[in-house]
Amino acid sequence: MTEAVRLSDVSKSFGPVRAVDGLDLTISAGETVALLGPNGAGKSTAIGMMLGLSRPERGTVELFGTAPDRAVRAGKVGAMLQDSGFVPNATVRELIELARALYPMPLPTGQILHTAGLTGVADRRLDKLSGGEAQRTRFAFALAGDPRLLVLDEPTAAMDVATRQSFWAAMRRYSAAGHTVLFATHYLEEADDFADRVVVIARGRVVADGSGAQIRNLTGGRTVAFDLNGENTAGLDRLPGVRTVEIRGERASLRSDDSDATVAAIVHSGRSFRNLEVSGAGLQDAFLALTASEA
Amino acid sequence: MLAFFTFELRRLVREPRLFIFTIFMPVVSYVVFTGVGDVSGRTEGVSLATAMTVGVAGYGAMIGVLSVGGGVSSERVSGWLRQLRLTPLPPIQVVAVKGLLTTLVAIPSVLAVIVTGRIQHHVTMPIGHWVALVLVLWLGTVPFALLGLAVGYSLPPQIAQPASFITFFTLSILGGLLIPVEVFPRWLQHLSQALPSNRYAELGWRAAAGHLPSAMGGTILAAWTVLFALLAAVAYRRSTATR
Repeated sequence: MTEAVRLSDVSKSFGPVRAVDGLDLTISAGETVALLGPNGAGKSTAIGMMLGLSRPERGTVELFGTAPDRAVRAGKVGAMLQDSGFVPNATVRELIELARALYPMPLPTGQILHTAGLTGVADRRLDKLSGGEAQRTRFAFALAGDPRLLVLDEPTAAMDVATRQSFWAAMRRYSAAGHTVLFATHYLEEADDFADRVVVIARGRVVADGSGAQIRNLTGGRTVAFDLNGENTAGLDRLPGVRTVEIRGERASLRSDDSDATVAAIVHSGRSFRNLEVSGAGLQDAFLALTASEA
Repeated sequence: MLAFFTFELRRLVREPRLFIFTIFMPVVSYVVFTGVGDVSGRTEGVSLATAMTVGVAGYGAMIGVLSVGGGVSSERVSGWLRQLRLTPLPPIQVVAVKGLLTTLVAIPSVLAVIVTGRIQHHVTMPIGHWVALVLVLWLGTVPFALLGLAVGYSLPPQIAQPASFITFFTLSILGGLLIPVEVFPRWLQHLSQALPSNRYAELGWRAAAGHLPSAMGGTILAAWTVLFALLAAVAYRRSTATR
């Protein structure tokens, strides 16, 4: 497989703050990768260097084996950034036609509008769009040229739930066609649901890299909580997958690497319980766990 | 590049403020300035009415060019220029298209004032002189387009717009576009003749009289063009050398 993205030992500082610190990241063509990290982890800085908008102080960045700006110039890259925007006095359709004209092998206009869910607002002026529509227009502009690599920085930031779902559906169709997609997010669920591979970044470095399930396990998996209903707490720590047990009054919280097995064991044990709840690990906990092991 | 030109031209034509600045304001200024005084004299080698027509046409062209150039500021801040940098369109073409479009803004102003001059004061000259006049008043806006871009690439929108206006008023008044330079004190006349606005209008005055540009005028204007081009290039570099 060819490499779409290669960052080798890349660093960049802003004043005393080291935003990206020795970042190594390789993405093969066709992968859908989530760059997961809290605000300030260095995601946007890494993406800026990946797209040739800024230069690393140290290390090298290559897209498809060439310098980022050359790959961009060749029409191999489409991007949707947080701080990119549009101008007044033009319509969505005109903007998309412009994008199509700039790339060598664009997608058909109708398909772009459909994919981005913009068919109904194609002739609306850019300055009259809602936040979600504007965000989808950015997506449409990024994918219009049918780029081999699509880079999205926090793409769902301004979207409501329904828009978010249609956006991810569109993204899936795009990546299913064999394109390479890299998106930055601070939602663990988004990374887990839509990426083949999740790269966790904290303090400018990669702290974990694997499938969504692997990342969840690394971060302590899920929490299985239930009311004891009068039963005793002995043996809970020996249930399959359980790492830690926390009892608060009448309620037990088990941190589990394999919540399915834990729940099955609880049911089979024949013990009485109420209000069983399985929840994902909080991202804050996840990062604390991941970054603590780094230090 | 043509697609980008068309896209940006369409946006420009749809901007209502532009018509107020480049057509309405110059025409009203012309009617008022030439309506209140006596325009029967001569200055700059042509009749006063002709000189005023050229001056106000240049004034209209300058305001349009400077304000559109300065408008790059809001495109920069909105992230549009950044978005374009992520497409195959080379930045040099973005700047070139922007610069060309900016100078084109001069043409409607010049035509509107010339037509007004023709109607109100029966300003006449051979057809070749008219053509030459429009041509030099268009091409002569290049330094102002560059100055506008320099302002737009270096200042935030809230400051770029007033900065463009202050520059424009200073240049047009001191350059003798609205008031003939002869009424200025001598020291101010010397200053005026060193300004790009005065030398720009001089291109027009000489074209109206059927003369080629003066060597001194051409040199001074070229020097300002180089200076503004450097300023614009530095401002552009600084604005794109991001974080």
